[in-house]
Amino acid sequence: MDSRKIPIRVANGRAYIWDVDDLQTIRSEHRLCGLLVGTLPHLSQQNLFLGIPSQLMPEEAALLVEKEYAVFVDDASAYRGATLSEFNAWNAEQREYIKHQQLVLEQEHANKKPPEVAQKVMSEEAIRKRKEREMKRQKKAAELQETEAEVPNANEEKVVEAEAPESSNAFPTTYNISIAAPSSSVPWYDPSNSTYSSISSAKAAGIWDFPSDLQDRARYGVFKDLWEQGYFMGGGIRFGGDYLVYPGDPLRYHSHFCATVISSPTQRIQPMEIVAHGRLGTATKKTHLFCTWDDEKGTVDYLSIEWAGFG
Amino acid sequence: MDDNLEQPNAEAKPLLGNEAEEEDQSSGDDDEGPDWTKLMPASSRPIIPKRGDKEFEPLKQGGSGLQQHILLRSRNAMFEALRATRTISNKTVSYGTWHPTLARVSVAVPRGTSMNNVGHTVPREMVMPDGTMKTQKRLELLPEEGVYLIERGSLMCWKEYTIEYPNDGTFESVTGIPMTVQQAYTEMIGTEDLTMDRYQVYAYLKRLGYSVTRSKPPNAFYPVAGLYPPSMSALSSSYILQRIFSTFSSWISGIFSPLFSRAFDWWRPLRINRWLRSEKNHSFMFRSLRFIPSGHKVPIHSHTETTSPYEPFFNLYKPPTPFKKSAPPPPDYQMVVVNARTTPMPSLSELTAIYDNAPELPLPLPRVRNPSQIQGVSYKKNAAGANIPLESRTTKETITPSMTIGAANGLMPSWFSSRTSAPSKQNERRVNPFAVLRQGTKTAIVATVDAGTINIFRFAQGAFETGPWY
Repeated sequence: MDSRKIPIRVANGRAYIWDVDDLQTIRSEHRLCGLLVGTLPHLSQQNLFLGIPSQLMPEEAALLVEKEYAVFVDDASAYRGATLSEFNAWNAEQREYIKHQQLVLEQEHANKKPPEVAQKVMSEEAIRKRKEREMKRQKKAAELQETEAEVPNANEEKVVEAEAPESSNAFPTTYNISIAAPSSSVPWYDPSNSTYSSISSAKAAGIWDFPSDLQDRARYGVFKDLWEQGYFMGGGIRFGGDYLVYPGDPLRYHSHFCATVISSPTQRIQPMEIVAHGRLGTATKKTHLFCTWDDEKGTVDYLSIEWAGFG
Repeated sequence: MDDNLEQPNAEAKPLLGNEAEEEDQSSGDDDEGPDWTKLMPASSRPIIPKRGDKEFEPLKQGGSGLQQHILLRSRNAMFEALRATRTISNKTVSYGTWHPTLARVSVAVPRGTSMNNVGHTVPREMVMPDGTMKTQKRLELLPEEGVYLIERGSLMCWKEYTIEYPNDGTFESVTGIPMTVQQAYTEMIGTEDLTMDRYQVYAYLKRLGYSVTRSKPPNAFYPVAGLYPPSMSALSSSYILQRIFSTFSSWISGIFSPLFSRAFDWWRPLRINRWLRSEKNHSFMFRSLRFIPSGHKVPIHSHTETTSPYEPFFNLYKPPTPFKKSAPPPPDYQMVVVNARTTPMPSLSELTAIYDNAPELPLPLPRVRNPSQIQGVSYKKNAAGANIPLESRTTKETITPSMTIGAANGLMPSWFSSRTSAPSKQNERRVNPFAVLRQGTKTAIVATVDAGTINIFRFAQGAFETGPWY
């Protein structure tokens, strides 16, 4: 990517990335992951794989803007009403899309190249099983017909009825509608007047507030320091810490550390915490990291804890 | 790395209860994350793959060639999957209009099964085609329902707008500006008490298949969930009386009131009726010697009147529950949603407020060898009961009477309970007291969200002074 800055869409104080290309840049060039929070349109009943948008941690968003890789966009004020011509253009595009589908469908229908594609995906065993099922079904149907031959059953009639209209006018009326995810694809989305290129200007505009206090500054300081050392970072709440620290992209590598932010070098740590974190870190095959932020000097000290099996 | 796709094996993770807790602590599995390469073949039927294996760390200079290659492949698979567009057949798509002033999506054309358990009907004044105003009922969606359906690709939503746009019938009769998913996120979240945290929990639960409604009706037309069965009506009425009484008396005498109301005799704490044999056992004596009030029937003293973030926000219905959206049954669970970064742990009075409205849980069943289905803790009798061998089912039934009595212990003079509970204990297989303590009698479920990561906790109210061990 050239000098174009990534737009971080800010809504309700949260930072989102809506364009996959931007996500790619952030991940592969800036080593920041965000967290996918949307529903994948075609796998919508599971929580393992999630989709666009990607929600950035406040630390990530602030870092991207401070390093001048990205800008904040106040999303709510970037929508203006569509002009009539824009709307008409959009509508025409949709019609074109639908027409195109019909064309494709008709061609496919003409070429009569039905389930070949689907069968390729299926394994041989699946095909065999399907054939067996089909045979069984046919057998059953034959038996049924034999027994109920004299009764022209109403069920069957209904089925035929239901199917008939669909097959007769299927391709003129059945088509897909596409719902756009990122607003950058619609002409009436205009972020030029609501773009903020620094954290302070975004704060002044009232759309962003991180980092706001000592705790936030400490978190941000630790995050930035670890990031500058080349680590990838993820949220650590599931592991009893503030961040998970990965040596490489979390897609491929396990995290080594679970980091806890301590906002001042004079803050006391209870021995219990050390035991608890040491214990937890070992159980999850990680080393626990205490990261102490010195707000005056702007430096971070690290202390790692591991369970030592004496005795 | 093999491309062989596994059969779908990703079960919905048990949300609540023992298994979830154990799993969270036991391993580093959680940070493994999904392996997007398994989504690669863009087959027509989506297949949920198994998780992949990750490596310890990259080699020097950003990893070896092989490592980089695999990483690139994983990333590309992920981005390809993310690029998939939302397409839906015009036969199943619903059309709706977003009304920013109402914070509702009105559904003009409802279609598809995803509409079965969302929305409520509201009578609204509407302009008829001939220009007259008329009150008509229409289906409306709350903002979270709207965003979810849009993002799922089931709803095409339009924003109400002052300018009339021409309608050529491509999208039936809806008018306005078409909304993108991004716009729905930006404009719908933040209205009608919906925060991003709450939306994320909502979407998470919906993806798992739960039916989710609001605990607090946002308007008068919103269907209110049915009340919990009055498991102990006698108890609750006397409980309220006692509450009124004790707040009154605590106003006078503070902490000592329970002592006086019980007329505890310091010089003769143990009064055994010489005619009643049943009083001569350990549990009775211990109970009689107890002079510090205990248990949850004693009202807590510090009472904060400020609005608490710990108020149930969502009502949950398990997927197989028959759910009628116009008259929802009492919810299987109620859930509180809080922000992990800003909300402190709940205080005792906050938790007590939740418990006070929660139903009493039945005693946990003895462990079954092969449970048919993992379920969380609900006020309902275990739905899997039908599949449990007869032996344990009878156990369940005999437990119930002793439970009511056990709960009454805290109030009633104790000679009553120890006498009546004796017969029911004869053929009962003993319930594991630790399981009872662990489950508690009431439960409060809290979802915490930290920058998109959802964790769900269960708090339980239990008591040592009542229970099957008495």
